[in-house]
Amino acid sequence: MPRGDTMLENRPKPTPVSAANTGGAMVRMQDVAKDFSVRGKETRALQPINLTVNRREFVSLVGPSGCGKSTALNLVAGLLTPTSGQVFYDGQLVQGLNERVGYITQKDTLLPWRTAADNIAVPLELRCRNESRKVIRERVAEMIELVGLRGFDKHYPGELSGGMRKRVALARTLIYEPETLLMDEPFGALDAQLKLLMHDQLQRLTQQRKMTVMFVTHDLAEAIALSDRVVVFSARPGRIRAEREIPLDRPRDVFKVRFADTFSRLHEELWNELKDEVVKGTDV
Amino acid sequence: MASVSINSPVAQSGVRNDEPGALGRAMLTTRGLIISRILFLAAVLLTWEFASGRIISKFWLSTPSAIMQTLWKWLHDGSLWVHLEATLTEMSLGYVIGCVAGVFIGLVLGFLPTVYRVVVPFLGGLYCLPKIALAPLFVILLGIDLGSKVALVAISVFFLILYATLDGIHDIDRDLVQALRIMGATRREIAMKVLIPGCLRWVFTGMRIAVRYAFTAAILGEVIASNRGVGYLIEAFSGQYNSTGVFAAMLVLVACSLTASELLTRWESSATHSKAGV
Repeated sequence: MPRGDTMLENRPKPTPVSAANTGGAMVRMQDVAKDFSVRGKETRALQPINLTVNRREFVSLVGPSGCGKSTALNLVAGLLTPTSGQVFYDGQLVQGLNERVGYITQKDTLLPWRTAADNIAVPLELRCRNESRKVIRERVAEMIELVGLRGFDKHYPGELSGGMRKRVALARTLIYEPETLLMDEPFGALDAQLKLLMHDQLQRLTQQRKMTVMFVTHDLAEAIALSDRVVVFSARPGRIRAEREIPLDRPRDVFKVRFADTFSRLHEELWNELKDEVVKGTDV
Repeated sequence: MASVSINSPVAQSGVRNDEPGALGRAMLTTRGLIISRILFLAAVLLTWEFASGRIISKFWLSTPSAIMQTLWKWLHDGSLWVHLEATLTEMSLGYVIGCVAGVFIGLVLGFLPTVYRVVVPFLGGLYCLPKIALAPLFVILLGIDLGSKVALVAISVFFLILYATLDGIHDIDRDLVQALRIMGATRREIAMKVLIPGCLRWVFTGMRIAVRYAFTAAILGEVIASNRGVGYLIEAFSGQYNSTGVFAAMLVLVACSLTASELLTRWESSATHSKAGV
């Protein structure tokens, strides 16, 4: 049985909150490398990287396809174990699934037999949260409003477009307000206007709830508009090519920030770093 | 299966009726379809009635009218109910036992992969065994009454449902499980929210298919050794070279099988969200 074996395996207890470590690093990747074996051949997806994400920081990872950005998120979520090096979350070594993060994967993992609203409600039904029915209903309605899915709450995932499913997945993660969000190209399938609206909402929510965010995207402008720091990955095998702080004030107007001088300067700088890698990436 | 096509959207909606069929011709309207079916049935019955005694001897083929008369007589003197009751009891008891055991063991094995790996070759061996081969054994163990038939039906149904449940669990996207685990779901919650609903469609499909197997097993059990039941009727009448009786008993079987299958289809579509494109 290839699939079922790890479905229900015992997992280590969730790591307790360490009170000592409030200001500093939330995620620390120390000389982390990852190899995958494809048909018996070892391929390096991630060269040893060092990356720290501070508490309440919004960090974007940009880079060409297949540069290991998603691998980095999977390592932080504990879905993968590093081939070498160590991943720390809130000062503790990540072993097994990291239940303190909310992960919006590239592929939406909605339950096909539940409606959009019922999918969004899943995290609140779990015993670790266990909200009353009334509270769940209210908060689900709120989230549906937030992600612009009013009128689609009774639809099944199979009846929604790709972009809508993405938004359901987003709502399902945001509803339980995890302290850290891992987002893997969450807005890739959305149209430009909706994307801006979602940026605005995401910025507000993450600021309000004091979340730490690791955000993977192809879209450099999106990365700059949202982040405190942008990390540029090289083409496969991934390593960190450049890092820039984004000194734009918060709260930002995600609509207007694009016209600021700082924005265009940063965009040009980062694009120069990214350009070569994208070219390299497409050669392969 | 005729019962399915009646439910198809083409037959039900008045809107789509003008859509061309596979050969580019216009499809029949709902009423046209029903009339055509009646005409088809009438043509077959009339041909049968006519051919019997003229082309082939009545002794082998009987006639639709004689079959209906026999059925009518069984209905009136109540003998049909005795036999039908026996068959339906065997079938439904065995079916329920087989389904419950199949789903239960299927879920247990689905949740305990190590146990599954240990027992899978043995299950496979038993699954491949034609269940009818067990019938004589059940007769020895349980006699020629209810017990042996129930056992035969239950074992036939059990394996179908067991494998349907296991296939359903193995078909579930592991990413769904991981997504819920990251949210902090416990093993029990993952079972309740992902594994069980995820395999439900497979279980229902298995249950629908199993109805026919249950009938087959009940009838075979009766044909082999019994003193009542529809299978017993078939066996007894064919022993007497009474083709009319055999055909009448077969007609009863067809009616029962179609009804059961149709009921399950309806139940399934109301219990799962088939339109969700799962």
